[in-house]
Amino acid sequence: MQAIARTRSDLEKAQTRAGYLFILPSSILYAVFVLAPVIVTFILSFTYYDPMAGSHWVGLENFQRFFTGDRSLQIFGNTLCFSLFAVTGNVVVGLLLALALNRAMPAFLLYLFRLAYFLPVIIAAAFVSIVWGYFYGDDLGVINYYLVHLGLPSVHWLTSSQTAMMSIVIMDVWKNTGFFMIIFIAALQGVPRNIMDAAIMDGSSYWRRFFRIVLPWISPVVFFAIVYASIGALQVYESIVILTRGGPGDATRSMSIYIVEEAFDNFEIGYAASISVIMTLVILVITTIQLFASRRWVRH
Amino acid sequence: MMQTKNAQRWVDRIIIGIMAVLGVFMVLPFAWLFSMSFRAPGEAYKMPPSFLPPNLDFRNYSAVLHSSVPFLQIYWNSLMVAVVVTLGQLITCTLAAFAFARLKFPGRDSIFFVFLVGLMFPAQVTIIPIYLGFAKVGLLNHPIGLALMYLTSSFGIFLVRQFMQSQPKALEEAALMDGAGYFKIFYRISLPQLRPALSALGIITFTQTWNYYFQARVLLEPHEAMTLPIAMDLLRGYMATGNLSVVMAAMSMAVLPVILIFLLAQKLVIEGVTMSGIKS
Repeated sequence: MQAIARTRSDLEKAQTRAGYLFILPSSILYAVFVLAPVIVTFILSFTYYDPMAGSHWVGLENFQRFFTGDRSLQIFGNTLCFSLFAVTGNVVVGLLLALALNRAMPAFLLYLFRLAYFLPVIIAAAFVSIVWGYFYGDDLGVINYYLVHLGLPSVHWLTSSQTAMMSIVIMDVWKNTGFFMIIFIAALQGVPRNIMDAAIMDGSSYWRRFFRIVLPWISPVVFFAIVYASIGALQVYESIVILTRGGPGDATRSMSIYIVEEAFDNFEIGYAASISVIMTLVILVITTIQLFASRRWVRH
Repeated sequence: MMQTKNAQRWVDRIIIGIMAVLGVFMVLPFAWLFSMSFRAPGEAYKMPPSFLPPNLDFRNYSAVLHSSVPFLQIYWNSLMVAVVVTLGQLITCTLAAFAFARLKFPGRDSIFFVFLVGLMFPAQVTIIPIYLGFAKVGLLNHPIGLALMYLTSSFGIFLVRQFMQSQPKALEEAALMDGAGYFKIFYRISLPQLRPALSALGIITFTQTWNYYFQARVLLEPHEAMTLPIAMDLLRGYMATGNLSVVMAAMSMAVLPVILIFLLAQKLVIEGVTMSGIKS
């Protein structure tokens, strides 16, 4: 009896040792490249960083500077505005595409559509932005060439502060909506057939069925998609850098661009850190809202 | 009844038609990219644009290789970083996932939770200390530094762990009874069952790493240290002064690996990338 007890505790010990050993490589890398940098960034955000003359504590000054500066507030607004439109566009278009593909159609067509709509998702934003940069050109741009040919006025896609942000949003939706389409197709296939059949028998229309049955059923996925899209959109960087470099003026400058400029061009490390902390906090808030909302959510 | 069915069929056809037109617009930029890479540099900006290659002249491709930008070195950097990161994640994530899914040890669930929290931190909030640290230890402007940052990933651990939990563990328990060590069980029994999860993780990681821009731009400044996404901007020149055809030849070469992977493993890529979305 005692022998068995001992082997069991030996086994537990061996298992514990093996467990820690197996997670050791990931834990070290994670601590060095994620946890420690996050903590350091939080600390830096409360300091004025100057390795030569000595850094010192400045409390909330960096945050105050961000929330009182005209320029920084415009950049904050740009980022939120981009996120709002890009998230709405990506989710709505993705859902419409998924609805369109979620009906009877030949299998090879379905295959081709999935291929075509998903292709931009996997290509780097940096690459597609360069292509779209040529499409959006004023005089030599592909889109304006065809607009003029159709007798329409050409558009200052990227060179007017009124349109530049919307042009970037359009490209973003083109690039990312296929991802949300795929998620929504999977969700739509989970809608129970018998409820749908019953509704069809009752003679309710397509859109009525959509709003009364389908949308409530897939709402957790829609909610998740909104959060996921927001997290991505808040970090928007290369598409803007390549298309407009933040211009005209500051019209399209995003928080990520501002962080890089402040940290590595102006060496305002503390201030830049505080901007990254603000971005992280916005992401944290959105994620937490989703976590709580999805727990309380009841399916009809 | 007959009439509604007929109407239904027309609706279906119209929707397929719309989807086809939109689908063409989705691939049009890529058709343009490849076609323009074959235009003679002198005709690069001539209108109308080409959406089919006018010829199969690879002059622009050799122009890229002979340009002032060290393209081959940059290509090698991208390849090296993507391969190292992919192999690294396959190893570290699988090991950790095995521990989280199959072993019991104190603190397991809280440690796993700490890993999951990492999914919420954008690169923006880690990049400044990493830059300062790399500057100190001499890793700045070395592509291997970028690779080091991503040798493990919370997402990868989560993905493999989820998959492992859906697999039966009878075989592993039997092996344990026979007195096999944990590493042997991991290597001989668990690993071979993980093929689908590992190919999905490998493909996602490779494409993701191939596409990194923000991190690469901050950490890799000299031309010889760059990876492809940042080098494209360089080739294009400020205000797009580089020759369009030559830039597109470089772009074609840069997107080729990812497009090949996508065409060969379309199903895995779509499922994998979708899984990467539905992590929470």
